[in-house]
Amino acid sequence: MTTDNNTIIKVEQLEKSFGKINVLKGINTEIKKGEVIVVVGPSGSGKSTFLRCLNRLEEPTGGNIYFEGVNITDKNVNINLHRQKMGMVFQQFNLFPHMTVLKNLMMAPTTLLKTSKTVARDRALQLLERVGLGEKANSYPSQLSGGQKQRVAIVRALAMDPDVMLFDEPTSALDPEMVGEVLEVIRELANEGMTMVVVTHEMGFAREVANRVLFIDEGIIMEDAPPEEFFANPKCERLKEFLAKVL
Amino acid sequence: MELLNNIFAWFGCAWNSITTFFVKFYADFHHVMIEGGRYKFIFQGLENTFVITLGALAIGVVIGILVAAIRTSFDKNKETLQLRGGIGYQILRVLNSLCKFYLTVARGTPVVVQLMIAYFIIFASADNGVPVAIFAFGVNSGAYVAEIFRAGIMSVDKGQFEAGRSLGFNYFQTMWYIVIPQMFKVVLPTLCNEFIALLKETSVAGYVGVTDLTKAGNTIAGRTFSYFIPLICVAIIYLVMVVILSWLVGLLERRLRKSDH
Repeated sequence: MTTDNNTIIKVEQLEKSFGKINVLKGINTEIKKGEVIVVVGPSGSGKSTFLRCLNRLEEPTGGNIYFEGVNITDKNVNINLHRQKMGMVFQQFNLFPHMTVLKNLMMAPTTLLKTSKTVARDRALQLLERVGLGEKANSYPSQLSGGQKQRVAIVRALAMDPDVMLFDEPTSALDPEMVGEVLEVIRELANEGMTMVVVTHEMGFAREVANRVLFIDEGIIMEDAPPEEFFANPKCERLKEFLAKVL
Repeated sequence: MELLNNIFAWFGCAWNSITTFFVKFYADFHHVMIEGGRYKFIFQGLENTFVITLGALAIGVVIGILVAAIRTSFDKNKETLQLRGGIGYQILRVLNSLCKFYLTVARGTPVVVQLMIAYFIIFASADNGVPVAIFAFGVNSGAYVAEIFRAGIMSVDKGQFEAGRSLGFNYFQTMWYIVIPQMFKVVLPTLCNEFIALLKETSVAGYVGVTDLTKAGNTIAGRTFSYFIPLICVAIIYLVMVVILSWLVGLLERRLRKSDH
C-alpha cells in the first residue's frame, strides 16, 4: 500500500452491486487530511452508495477501503471501532426521537468511549452552543425544525470527535429557508480543517467550499477536479450535460 | 277505566314475575353455588386461570423476544453476512429456519391439541396439569408474541438503525439502546391484547384435568345438574376481567400517545 501520512481515506477499485445491478463499478480515489470533497452526480448514479460504503453501512462487493492506514474491508477488522472515527450525517437526520437533544449527543460518547457523564454533558452543551442551539438541550427532536434537527445531527456526530465527517445529502430534506443555516455549520467545520466528504446537490456550496469536486455517474468517477476547473472547464461530456441541467 | 285497570293488572303481573324470578334466582344461586361450598371451585379455578395465564405470558415473552431477535437479525444482516462469508451466516440461517418452523407449527395447530400433546405425550408422567398447561400455552403464545415483536422492530425506521451503527454501536447495542425502546411503545398495546386473548384461551385447560375457571363452572354444573347459574357466573367473571384489562390497555395507549415526542 502506498499512502503518505496525509492520506486519510484511500479507495481502491471499490465495487458494489445489489443483486444483478452494479451500482459502483470500480471507484478509485484518495482523500487527504483536511480536504473537503464534494460528490455530485445525477440521482441513481451511485454517489450515496459510494459514501455509505466508506463506513461500510453498505457492504462493498469488491475492492478495498483504507481508513487511516487500515483496510476496513478486511474480514477481521472491527468496523465499529473505525466508525467511531467517521461521523455521518443523513438526509433524514435520524435523531433518536425517544431521547432529548442532550441525550442524543451524550449517548455515543458515554456508552462507547466511556466518557464520564459530566464531561460528555459539558462537551455536548458546548457543541450545541456552537451551532446556536444551546437552549434546545432539553427539547425532544420532534420539537425542532428540520434545520435545527440537522444541526443537532451534525453535532451528535461531532461529539465522538471523528477524524472524517460524511454528509449524505444533508440539505435535501430541508425547507429552502433552512438550507442556509445547515450549510453555514458545514462551512464552519470546513474552515476549521475537518476532513469531509459531502454528497449534495448544492452546486453553489460545492463551488465555494470544496477542495475537490467528484462527478460520479454510472458507477465510476467521471471527473475529479478543483471546483474552479470543475465548473468552468468540465472535460467529460456527461458532466457538461449535467452542469447544463443543474446550473 | 277498564283499560287503566288492565294496565295496572299487567304491571302487577310483570312485577310479580320479576320478583318471582329474582327470588327463584337467588334460591337457585344459593343452592347451586353456596351449598356445599361449591363456590370454592370457582375460586380455585380463578386462581389456576391466573397462574396459567401469567406463567404462559412470561414464557411467551421470553420465547417471543428470542425468536423475534433471531428472525430480525437474520433479515437485517443476511446480505452483509453472506458477503462476509464465514460460519455466522450458516448458524443464523439454521436458527432462522428453526424459528420459522416453530412459528408455523405453533400457529398452525389448535392450542387444545398442543395442550393435549404436551400433557399426554411429552409430559405423560406429570400428575399436575398446571405446569404443563403453563408450558403449552407459553409455547403457543410465544409464537404470537414473536410476531408482534418482529412487526414492532420492523416498524422502527431503518434510519434509526443506521444512525446507531454509524456512530459505532454494534448490532446489539443499536438494538438495545435505540431500536427496542422505540419498538416497545409500538407493541405494548398489541402485547396487552395478546395477554387478553391468552386469558380466554386458557379456558381449554380442563381438557388435561386442570380446574381452571371454565372447568370449575362445568364441575358445579355436573354436580347440581344446573347449567345456567354456574356457566353464567363463569362468563361474567371472564367478561369483568377482560373489560378491566381492556380499560387498562386503553389507559396505557393514551399515556403512550401523550409522551409521543
